[in-house]
Amino acid sequence: MSEQGRGLSSRVFHYLRAINAENIKEWKIELTYKPDFIRQFLEPFVYLFPYFLYGFALLGGRYSEHLRSMTGIGDMVAYTFIGYLFIGFLNTACWAMGFSLRKEQWFGTLETIFVAPVPRWVYVAGMALHSTCHQGLIMLIQAVAITTFFAIVLQTSGIFLALSAVLLMLLGLYGLGIVVAGLTIALKQWWVVSEALSTLIVVVTPIAYPLAVLPFVLRKVAMFLPTTYGIIGVRHFLLGENLAVSLPTIFLRLSLILVVWLSFGMLVFLIMDRYGRKRGSLSVY
Amino acid sequence: MWVIIEEVRKSFRILLAYPVEVVFWIFSPLLWVIPLVFQGKALIGAFSSTPFGSLAGTDEFIPYVLIGAIVSTYMFSAVWSMGNSFRDETYYGTLEHILSAPVQPGYILIGKGLYNSILSTSFVIVQLLICVFIFGLNITLAKIFPIFLFLFLLIVGLYGIGFMAAALTLLIKEAHGMLHMFEYVLFLFSPIRYPVEVNPITKAISVFIPLTYALIALRGLLLNIEFNFWKNSIILLAIDCTLLPLGLFVFRRIEKRTKTRGTLADY
Repeated sequence: MSEQGRGLSSRVFHYLRAINAENIKEWKIELTYKPDFIRQFLEPFVYLFPYFLYGFALLGGRYSEHLRSMTGIGDMVAYTFIGYLFIGFLNTACWAMGFSLRKEQWFGTLETIFVAPVPRWVYVAGMALHSTCHQGLIMLIQAVAITTFFAIVLQTSGIFLALSAVLLMLLGLYGLGIVVAGLTIALKQWWVVSEALSTLIVVVTPIAYPLAVLPFVLRKVAMFLPTTYGIIGVRHFLLGENLAVSLPTIFLRLSLILVVWLSFGMLVFLIMDRYGRKRGSLSVY
Repeated sequence: MWVIIEEVRKSFRILLAYPVEVVFWIFSPLLWVIPLVFQGKALIGAFSSTPFGSLAGTDEFIPYVLIGAIVSTYMFSAVWSMGNSFRDETYYGTLEHILSAPVQPGYILIGKGLYNSILSTSFVIVQLLICVFIFGLNITLAKIFPIFLFLFLLIVGLYGIGFMAAALTLLIKEAHGMLHMFEYVLFLFSPIRYPVEVNPITKAISVFIPLTYALIALRGLLLNIEFNFWKNSIILLAIDCTLLPLGLFVFRRIEKRTKTRGTLADY
């Protein structure tokens, strides 16, 4: 291997170690606050049930003929559950990644981290790795519990393609997480950005309803979100939802969105990072 | 009294340093209703549902959830904002200063409660005005006094819970997750989005939550659904008389405990 190649591989290894160190650090911090750690595994259930109960109140039961005529799925519980299960990754992007820098600021360690001999994106990538592992574990437990309790039957033959769609969606959402983390450097009060963005995405994404019920403008906006294609793709593979767009189009658009969102995220992050340091507002509360 | 006023003034000055937050809190409860409207449209294909009407007293589910969302502003304020009020002071590095000041910590707590009440009520008024002018909600002048009466009774009870939430953060420090969880539990078992009669468990637990009675009364007043005015007022009053002193008592005990154990400054 040439000198240049060795240098590059050692740098990549160095970055990967830093990413893993960040991941381990986050697990340690979370395990310090045990009640909060346990709570994170219970919360998705408490969050999900109001949507089921609302559906039960509207329908007087579990099945909707109108939903079946629009999507091919009549089971309101299964339809809503799959949507909300995978939208959990939105929280990963908006909250965990976006929250990461503000949290370091509260801990008084932001400046220390920013002078470490690794690029800043390595830090955000470490947070992404941690939150993906954590959220993945939460979702797995939630999926097993809900499918058992409500006797939801999933089409296991589509699991590989479903996971591929989720992976592309997740990478696209990382772009959003990087944007939020970057904006936090300049705007400080990170949660407003995070909450506003996630609320808007939750409204536009067809989580508990098909795209067809959205007004024209919101339907067009939904076409630019990775969550739209991720959710309808997963629901198609696992529950057999009728598709308004073809499968190759879903994967093509997800790939395009992921490139655009990740590039945009990195760009915003680098601009905000430079802006924050130039203005001297890095340590400002 | 001055301590309370100064605490309110300080909190407003901090809030105004982040003006985006104000805009967010006004619009977010209304935004949370939108997915429910679309979900309803997808499930029913219309904006009214007979099964919903047999449980809630009205077939129109949009005004029902809209009122629930607006009133839930108080729940978020009591649990989340009150719970985090002392944690925020830890982050600012000012917790030890304010708790070692020569005033009863209870006054600081009441100041924080008053600030959150004023803020939430302002948000609720703006939200109601949006509903009146944009969604055509009908509020006659005669209903304004009973509406404010029930809002007041609700605030008092919820801030009793809020005081306990503030104490919890002094005790277990990183309590924001627990507060979120508690908030979700209240959300699950109160008739904010759906009539609790839909499930026997939600119906049984909702009996202990002040939000249930306030929402029954406020929906009754705003949507002309039949309800028992005196029964709901008296139950809310009884809950207030229990929760407020209990909240103050719990806060005092825990504050003393953290000071005795020397864990006040712990992160």
